[in-house]
Amino acid sequence: MIGTGGDPLSHNQKHRVQVTPTEDTALKPFFLASILAGAIALPAYSADYTIMAPAAPGGGWDQTARSLQTALQEEGISGNVQVVNVPGAGGTIGLAQFASQQKGNPNALIVGGYVMVGAILTNQAPVTLKDVTPIARLTGEYEAIVVPASSEIENIDQLVEALKKDPGSVSWAGGSAGGTDHIAVGLLAKAAGVDPTKINYIAYSGGGEALAAILGSQVTAGVSSYGEFQSQIEAGTLRLLAVSSDERLEGVDAPTLKEAGYDVVLQNWRMVAAPAGLSEEQEAAIQADIKKLVESETWQETLETKNWADTYLAGDEFQEQLAKDIASTEQILKDIGLVK
Amino acid sequence: MSTFEFLLQGLVAAMEPMNLLYALIGVTLGTAVGVLPGIGPALTVALLLPVTYRLDPTGSLIMFAGIYYGGMYGGSTTSILLNTPGESASIVTALEGNKMARAGRGGPALATSAIGSFVAGLIATLLLAFLAPYVVQIAIKFGPREYFALMVLAFVTVSSAFGDSALRGLTALFVGLAFSVVGIDQLTGQTRLAFGVPDLLDGIEVTTMAVAMFAIGETLFIAAQGMRGPETVEAVKGSVWMNAQDWARSWKPWLRGTVIGFPIGAMPAGGAEIGTFLSYATEKRLTKHPEEFGNGAIEGVAGPEAANNASAAGTLVPLLTLGLPTTATAAIMLAGFQQYGLQPGPLLFATNPQLVWGLIASLLIANGMLLVLNLPLIGLWVKLLTIPKPWLYSGILVFATLGTIGANPSVFELGMLLTFGLLGYVMRVFGYPIAPVVVGLILGPLAEQQLRRALAISQGDVTYLFTSPIAAVLFVVAALAFIVPLILRIRGRGEVLSQMAANED
Amino acid sequence: MSLNHPTSTTKQRRPDWAALAIAVVLAVIAAVIFFDVARVKGAAGYSQVGPATVPEWIAFGLIGLAVWTAIEAFRGEFPVRDRQELGPIVWVVAGLIAQMLLLNRAGFSIATGVLFALVAAGFGRRKLWLTIPIGIILCLCIWLIFAGLLQLSLPAGPLEHLFL
Repeated sequence: MIGTGGDPLSHNQKHRVQVTPTEDTALKPFFLASILAGAIALPAYSADYTIMAPAAPGGGWDQTARSLQTALQEEGISGNVQVVNVPGAGGTIGLAQFASQQKGNPNALIVGGYVMVGAILTNQAPVTLKDVTPIARLTGEYEAIVVPASSEIENIDQLVEALKKDPGSVSWAGGSAGGTDHIAVGLLAKAAGVDPTKINYIAYSGGGEALAAILGSQVTAGVSSYGEFQSQIEAGTLRLLAVSSDERLEGVDAPTLKEAGYDVVLQNWRMVAAPAGLSEEQEAAIQADIKKLVESETWQETLETKNWADTYLAGDEFQEQLAKDIASTEQILKDIGLVK
Repeated sequence: MSTFEFLLQGLVAAMEPMNLLYALIGVTLGTAVGVLPGIGPALTVALLLPVTYRLDPTGSLIMFAGIYYGGMYGGSTTSILLNTPGESASIVTALEGNKMARAGRGGPALATSAIGSFVAGLIATLLLAFLAPYVVQIAIKFGPREYFALMVLAFVTVSSAFGDSALRGLTALFVGLAFSVVGIDQLTGQTRLAFGVPDLLDGIEVTTMAVAMFAIGETLFIAAQGMRGPETVEAVKGSVWMNAQDWARSWKPWLRGTVIGFPIGAMPAGGAEIGTFLSYATEKRLTKHPEEFGNGAIEGVAGPEAANNASAAGTLVPLLTLGLPTTATAAIMLAGFQQYGLQPGPLLFATNPQLVWGLIASLLIANGMLLVLNLPLIGLWVKLLTIPKPWLYSGILVFATLGTIGANPSVFELGMLLTFGLLGYVMRVFGYPIAPVVVGLILGPLAEQQLRRALAISQGDVTYLFTSPIAAVLFVVAALAFIVPLILRIRGRGEVLSQMAANED
Repeated sequence: MSLNHPTSTTKQRRPDWAALAIAVVLAVIAAVIFFDVARVKGAAGYSQVGPATVPEWIAFGLIGLAVWTAIEAFRGEFPVRDRQELGPIVWVVAGLIAQMLLLNRAGFSIATGVLFALVAAGFGRRKLWLTIPIGIILCLCIWLIFAGLLQLSLPAGPLEHLFL
């Protein structure tokens, strides 16, 4: 994984010592006592941030929100952070609720990601990312294209060749229809000059189910984020053909799609956003807090243990990238025939 | 070191007093959150996982295992006592378990469920330890056509086991099927029957439906009887403990439940509830007391509970051997493992044997701890039933809505709870069975998706469905399960069968 | 085909109107399905069973069941129903609606406390001045345990904010 950005600053060490006494003494040996102590000490703080995870507990966005919570608190950037889960419809239900209820509130944040871009389009959601203030991209994963180790296909060119010959005979296993994996296949088909509506994409509900189908050779090829396949590739049960990053990934022995001659770059990123209607000072304050967070040791440690790549991108640069992503996603979803 | 030595080492580490305490705390916390209707083991583990981060790897693995088993068992307790299934896998438990509780046999129901869970958990964990690499080779052979055949088998066996009226049983099943197509179609991304309501895009939550139909529907039904019924239920008739006959009738269902549940749990798209359905249908066919089914048959609790726990251990087979998280719970476990720098995958058993065996040992300890915690509490639990009706039912509704709000604090979800509660009430008034609605809601999408995946892979060739040996065998079994009862009926033994198909209500 | 026990069946001369209504409802559900999935017919891909096919099978099944139900309704083959009291139902439903309306405005404890009291009223305990406070205090304890200790996200209102 690419571990760029956020050089561990020495003053972070001091920050760690500054952690409030309740946090420190409480959470050590006996956590029940800790939570009790925390609950008693709670009135001493004002709720600094409330982060909405527009998904059920346990998923990627929820984990991002809860990691943000831990890091913000432990680094002393915010005294008390609450996480609220509002699951449903690719995050669009949470987004709609956030946009309407938190407008102008500088203490509210929402976690989101590339999946939301597609979900807004396919669900024809009335509330879009224009109705919030994107703050920064935090982390991201790239898509990987694999075949089972027993497959006759050795490289990406052979796979594309088969696709050109008979698109129906190449079945692709990946996540739900219209999701990042489906988009990746659509983009590849288009770049290779194959009609994207002709791809034989088999949608599965979870990473595990799709992976089982690929390992069992039920399908020709599989598409998902690299992390989902990593351990299988290392064990030699899957053959990695290509990844969707801009440049080669460190420690990954496969060409990018771009290198192979197909102009496809796709990152499944996660971001944090604030409500609309903030003053410039308020927005700048949040930007500063998130920047501090991203550079903190706690956050960098979190990225490492969770195997998340640091793809931090903030401010105007992020807004620009976001606008590009939305435009290209809308185009490909139209090409696949999912958006009319 | 050999497999056995690793396991022994793990057990020794897990038996340290401090670790046993962590196991106890984990089981208690897991049970406390898991009892909430609508909050299954997956959510329980997700909510409580951060608690384990502060401990050393061994301690946190043990507490984690405790939370997992506690979350699972919590659902069964409320299913039996309050008729509020906490998760889809304990819906079947509510069918017979709650009938037993109403008849003053809540004690034996809870006991057979706890001991059955323990026995199944023990056997399944040992199977996991020694057979995982072989089991997974078979499980991975299951593709869309094999799953479709399995779903057909489940439909045939389960639908013949519900209700005294073919018309009303089928109607309930089709109502469930109709609800199951609501939301975004997973294979094409098209919305069906959502009528532009964003909250319906993800479909109808099985647990919301189950809690509404069982708990709220029944509360309304009891309320509508006015003051006719007695103020309280007699909580204990006979012994609070299982008698000799209960034991004799329980041990075979426990073993059969384990045999059914473990492989289905090990299949990447099996799902724990399928195992409980099949186990219930099996027990209903094999029982010597068919007249008791629908009125509180102990086999109907013992089998599905064992199947549920066995399939939970089965889920760990693909997770530990292949790194495949096949259920929501497994996906969250995976996130938990990463805290210890553990990357589940095909090499896990080789590269990280200490942790894997530590986990397996922890599961065994947590399983035992669950029994230690729950058996003495059974006497206390059944006392819940002696609460006077007004307070009991207000408590049930507080509890049922608490679970729903905790899982998803949305007013729309509460509206669904009310709507399906009223539907459940009307169905009770007209003598419709409730369970087939939930069965249709669960099995419908599974069968549809696998059929369509299989046909997409074969590019529309229908013969593909039958040309795999496993699928062919499953189809033949399903056909036999359908035809044999018909032949028996023609030969004049129909009255036996209609007796077996006693109404659950 | 019917396996009704003879004891639970009465031979009525006139049709069972409620059962007929059920037949109509089933037919209406089938019609709604047919109408709604007509939109998504084109999107089948490589499988001839598309997103509209299975819903249509279900709708055909429902129509068959509607006809069957209507026949049984005319023959009066539906089981006899006990007299239902509407009063208690209204109380319980009112409790659930009150909870829905109050949840995001007044917080979990007040909303659910009111539900508690109204359900108890449905079962004959009508002293609301007593049961509402009891319910609210009870639910506040539940909130403190589940939201405070066990990290469940339950909506907070004025009462909960006293402890936050």
